Amino acid sequence: MSSAGPDRHLIARRVAAVTVSLVLAGGAVACGPEDGADKAGSGGKPGAAGGAPQRGGTLTVLNSEPQSDFDPARLYTSGGGNVPSLVFRTLTTRNREDGAAGTKVVPDLATDTGKPNADATEWTYTLKDGLKYEDGSPITSADIKYGIERSFAAELSGGAPYLRDWLVGGDAYEGPYKDGGKGLDSIVVPDPKTIVFKLRKSEGEFPFVATQTQFAPVPKAKDTGVKYEEHPVSSGPYKVVKNDNDGEHLTLERNEHWDEKTDEERKAYPDKIDVRSGLDAAVINQRLTTSSGPDAAAITTDTNLGPAELAQIGDNKELAGRVGTGHFGYINYLALNPKVAPFDNPKVRQAISYAINRTSVINAAGGSALAEPATTFLPEREAFGFTPYDHFPAGKTGDPAKAKELLKEAGFPDGLSITLTHSTAQNRQTSPEVATAVQQALAAAGITVKLEGLENNAFNEKRWDVKNTPGFFLSRWGADWPSGAPFLAPIFDGRQIVTNGSNYNHAQLNDQAVNAEIDEIAKLTDLAAAGKRWGALDKKIGEQALDVPLFHPVYKRLVGKDVKNVVISDWTGVLDVSQVSVK
Amino acid sequence: MSIALKQSAPEQPVPAPGGLAPGAGAARQVWRRVRRRPAALAAGGVLALLVLLALAAPLLAQLTGQDPNAYHDDLVDSARGGVPLGSFGGISADHWLGVEPGTGRDLLTRLLYGARISLLVALGAVVVQTLVGVGIGLAAALGGRFAGQLIGRFTDVMIALPMLVIGIALTAVVPPDFPRPLLLILLIGLFDWGGTARMVRAQALALQGLDFVDAARLSGRGRLGIARRELLPSLAAPVITIAAIKVPTAIVAESSLSFLGVGVKPPTPSWGQMLSSAQTWFRADPTYVLLPAGLLFVTVLAFTVLGDAVRTALDPREGSRLRVGTRKERTA
Repeated sequence: MSSAGPDRHLIARRVAAVTVSLVLAGGAVACGPEDGADKAGSGGKPGAAGGAPQRGGTLTVLNSEPQSDFDPARLYTSGGGNVPSLVFRTLTTRNREDGAAGTKVVPDLATDTGKPNADATEWTYTLKDGLKYEDGSPITSADIKYGIERSFAAELSGGAPYLRDWLVGGDAYEGPYKDGGKGLDSIVVPDPKTIVFKLRKSEGEFPFVATQTQFAPVPKAKDTGVKYEEHPVSSGPYKVVKNDNDGEHLTLERNEHWDEKTDEERKAYPDKIDVRSGLDAAVINQRLTTSSGPDAAAITTDTNLGPAELAQIGDNKELAGRVGTGHFGYINYLALNPKVAPFDNPKVRQAISYAINRTSVINAAGGSALAEPATTFLPEREAFGFTPYDHFPAGKTGDPAKAKELLKEAGFPDGLSITLTHSTAQNRQTSPEVATAVQQALAAAGITVKLEGLENNAFNEKRWDVKNTPGFFLSRWGADWPSGAPFLAPIFDGRQIVTNGSNYNHAQLNDQAVNAEIDEIAKLTDLAAAGKRWGALDKKIGEQALDVPLFHPVYKRLVGKDVKNVVISDWTGVLDVSQVSVK
Repeated sequence: MSIALKQSAPEQPVPAPGGLAPGAGAARQVWRRVRRRPAALAAGGVLALLVLLALAAPLLAQLTGQDPNAYHDDLVDSARGGVPLGSFGGISADHWLGVEPGTGRDLLTRLLYGARISLLVALGAVVVQTLVGVGIGLAAALGGRFAGQLIGRFTDVMIALPMLVIGIALTAVVPPDFPRPLLLILLIGLFDWGGTARMVRAQALALQGLDFVDAARLSGRGRLGIARRELLPSLAAPVITIAAIKVPTAIVAESSLSFLGVGVKPPTPSWGQMLSSAQTWFRADPTYVLLPAGLLFVTVLAFTVLGDAVRTALDPREGSRLRVGTRKERTA
């Protein structure tokens, strides 16, 4: 990450890392229209009963993954993250509401979500009055500029790649420790309340990126470089009082200088938040199920219930009532690489699309409570621009007859034999269970599938290596923010094909019309209008059968008995820690 | 164990020091001693039955009308994590032992087909382990001090080498079409012989100090002759015991390797694979866990009981007039 050139492969690799970490951190829920209500039995969501939320108490967070590198420059988050957002305020943030309303971007430190110029290449923000750090000193726009500049330093890498790509001069900037005090010219601070960003191209969705922790203020005088993560200066409702073992155990207490009048989003009910990680998923779920002692006031932001645990909860009303359901923008799909025979033949790709049995695949992914069948690449949420389509209708269990017919037309009257590459990780996404379900479905259409299971790192390396991409493999993608852009651009933009690093455009699609449309949509600042065009673009690309959408995962997570005010947005799919009360 | 028996049988009918008649007579004598133990007979019967069932798996599958790899999406409750519909893991007239959660695949046929892989891999690996372990252990004991030290260090290194890591590395090197059961046999067999080798070396060194070995040496027999005629018969008992203990270890190793994608490829079932995917289901669907676990338990127990019986029957001290060791040792 030390190179300052326009290293798209580095950028892409980071996106990947993010996607993966988001999966881990992603979580929970938005009370799905049918499932959530069904499962909860009472039709409510967890914590609905029990009266109004009160201040006080200690909230425990039980997680698998540690909150490592707790420095705003280094965190890769969607919308500022869950725990990080308790400490770091940003220019904009997520709307902390249930479901679809939660996909909106709203002001945080700024008075609005940003004023663009005519072609959305310049964004201006004004700070609210009365903003203070945990030591009582005022937050200025210069601190936000400094915070962003830090994230360009090689030693503080880890954040999202977008700013390096978008800001004028961002590709060559090496951070404030190496610039001789000049700073990055494309971030202008005319006065302590105003900050202006100059971009090298139109980016109508800039306000979404301004939710990430790189947009948190960092006072230059308090910056300790790589050691800053041990005690970052808080701008949010909580400050870090203890950080053991690089985020394994974080203790947060109230920041007395945070003023709720300046913050409409964070509720901050508990007095103390205790974040513990490194726990086994089964242990977390067992502790939340038992919910005794401090665990009664516990939640998890990264651990789902597994299929066996869901089966066990079954008809237990009390437990089912404590399960939150959420949707995070995510797709699991079969990637077909037309550079490899026989997938260069559209009829073969269509035959596979017709033959797929989504019922088996969903069961392999944990059943209908944990996965929803997908026929579109975009998740089924309006914010992503979801436009329904099913170009090669396979029905619930596949259409092997139609698939055979197409194979015959393609010149394979006796069926064909192909290899499916998958991971051996037990993740129920790219795992052997899902691969076997695909194999079984295609067998009915006369397609013999040989399975090639690779250890997870080897699997990722192979599918991201443009020279070595398998012809047929399981893949997945998650959104950096709730919109079609971070979904379609990395996967289908021909200019994002990376030849010497991690490539996500598996099909190596380089279609001038698609590229041009991606640029056109990026100019829109009307997000609803942009959404419609992303949906239309998705539908159009879908005609080529470059992938077979399989399912969108659903998050099911338990909370402790005393937990109230559970809010789960479609942005994160996880309950929002800043809204939870334990009294 | 057949290997050890063969090696212990010299061509000439010279009475072995343990009082066990050599050649075909030894096998007959072992059989006579084993036959007196009902537990050993039962264990042998169970193992024979298992092997028979494994061999007859395709026939039995035809009999029940089930394909071990066919999905039955209608037999699982998708909304509840894919738990089998019905009681006791979906036991029905069609599916005698129920179905697998998530897929609805028939458990009986999967267990039968799984037995083929698990028994083949475990027995094959143990045979390889025993051959390599006995050979290296004897070489260490009979070679000079330098050779003994060198072989000892090599054994230590092999014991320290993590088989799972090597297994992952191997997947990158071994061609994808290489038969996986053979790969598993070689991997487990060629990595896990260190314990056997150490034991054989220690036993052989101890035996070398005993009178009957000295007598053989004084009568002019060479190292190889001593190894074959004097040491191997006495080593057969502990070697068979350790081999019996290694069988379950090999079955478990097969399942760990399956986790890393080095095991047999899905959808081919193996007990190890079934156990590892069943472990999260022990509360929601106990049948699913108990079946492979119960089979594995029975197999391991049978191997242990049988191994013990054969060990006792082979023990040179058993039935020997020339009692070696103290009374306490004998009764133990």
